[in-house]
Amino acid sequence: MSKQSGFRQDAANHIIIFFHYMAQYIKTKMAYRADFFIYVFSDLLQQSVNLVFILVIFTKVPAIKGWTRDQILFIYGFFLIPFGLYSGFLNHLFDVPEKYVLEGELDRVLLRPLNAWFQVVVETMNPELLIGTLTGIVIMVYSGNAMGLVPTWWDFPLTLVLVFGATMIYAGVYTFLASLGFWTEGNMGLMPMVYNLSNYGRYPMTIYRGPVRFILTWVLPFAFAGFYPAAILMHRYEYIGYALLTPVIGILSFVFAYRFWVAGIRRYRGTGS
Amino acid sequence: MALIEARGLTKEFRIFRRREGVMGAFRDLFQRDYTTLRAVDGIDFVVAEGEMVGYIGANGAGKSTTIKMLTGILVPTAGSVNVNGFIPYKEREKYTRGIGVVFGQRSQLWWDIAVIESFKLLRRIYNVSQEEFKARLKKFDDILEFGSFLHLPVRKLSLGQRMRCDLTAALLHNPAILFLDEPTIGLDVLGKAKIREFLKEINSESKTTVILTTHDLGDIEALCPRVAIIDKGKMLYDGSVDNLYAQWGHDKMEDIVKKIYEGCKPEQYCMIENWGDTHA
Repeated sequence: MSKQSGFRQDAANHIIIFFHYMAQYIKTKMAYRADFFIYVFSDLLQQSVNLVFILVIFTKVPAIKGWTRDQILFIYGFFLIPFGLYSGFLNHLFDVPEKYVLEGELDRVLLRPLNAWFQVVVETMNPELLIGTLTGIVIMVYSGNAMGLVPTWWDFPLTLVLVFGATMIYAGVYTFLASLGFWTEGNMGLMPMVYNLSNYGRYPMTIYRGPVRFILTWVLPFAFAGFYPAAILMHRYEYIGYALLTPVIGILSFVFAYRFWVAGIRRYRGTGS
Repeated sequence: MALIEARGLTKEFRIFRRREGVMGAFRDLFQRDYTTLRAVDGIDFVVAEGEMVGYIGANGAGKSTTIKMLTGILVPTAGSVNVNGFIPYKEREKYTRGIGVVFGQRSQLWWDIAVIESFKLLRRIYNVSQEEFKARLKKFDDILEFGSFLHLPVRKLSLGQRMRCDLTAALLHNPAILFLDEPTIGLDVLGKAKIREFLKEINSESKTTVILTTHDLGDIEALCPRVAIIDKGKMLYDGSVDNLYAQWGHDKMEDIVKKIYEGCKPEQYCMIENWGDTHA
């Protein structure tokens, strides 16, 4: 068997296993129904609060730095789509330093014939939080309509590419932070800070001062997970350069972070828990 | 060819020694004081197919570290290791398909889902056919009798029940080698007996090679014709249990092992005067 087809086989195998984990997850959640509804409810509540916040502000002012209520809503709607994917599958990467490294759960992971990162993701996922993605789509459609936006045919495949890129940015940033745990052997409290920062990606970059804009674009590139792609989708083509960079930045950050993860695993296997 | 072949297997850990007090913690920020601990120190360990080997040693002797290197979790600092045709730490994903591992201290199963669901998920992960899966489950159930709690989540099981399920989980894919790290820890007499009976059966019927660490020498006496004794990372004895008795001119394993942990050698006089009352 060639190396290429071996890899393909391996990838296919992981995808099948993913759905089996998913099925198990649903069964478990059926056993804890209350838990499931609380999760979904609290997630929806959080989105509602954010939404009301935006709506209230715009009862006082007609626009913020030239951005209207509907445009801000549209950005928030787009932001929620990759954010829902992140919440559903990658949110618990922050368990890695404590649970997997410090308590040694990674031993068990390393004994299974599956990729370690994959196992951590499927063991800690909360797919019910994908509900955020749905909310996002609804908000996008509503606000797009309200501002009289007429989508072109390429907006749809473009949306998919941009959502993919934005999700990869989350995957990259949080995989990187999780991997730090292999060296610090415990949580450093960076995750909540970065999580808060990620919320800044859902406002127009023009409302921030230079340094903040720079950080959100080039250091922790959350602007690519919200504002830049949303801008091009509402046909603000002055941001097209940035927007098209989204998948590139996404892939680069994930590839870099994954390498860092692999180095972390190597360290773990060298030093033990 | 040997199924397991380790030569000069060594594992060193760097231990960070914290200084005392506030000033000490402050100094630690700038200059860390490391010491190197050699947990496993150049051991040779060769096991043939179908063997059942007891691997014993005091707490901290290096047993678990050895097992973790043999199972591919840890990368050795020095030495070579080849198990089942693989270098465990290099081809982890392929290698782990052919081994089963049970840690007595930590369950390998998913905490919140029913035992049977865990088994089904493992069946998918290891690509075991439906027929084989059913046949094996039935065979294991005959001895381990887990049928009555197959539908409970792992967190609701007693330690003995959990261990029986962990054993089953480790063997569903019919591995060539079964590694057991303290499989009888905390079990009652009946629980231990059941597990021993099961291991014997698996070893004789499926020719599964079994490596087990334990603090209960009863496990060794009941199961293992061969025993390896490790202390402070060094292999002190590796050979048949019969030969161990002959060397020491004594047939109480507990006494012998105590002497070995105390640093005595069979030819030394020190052990003879202190054989203890158990022998009398």
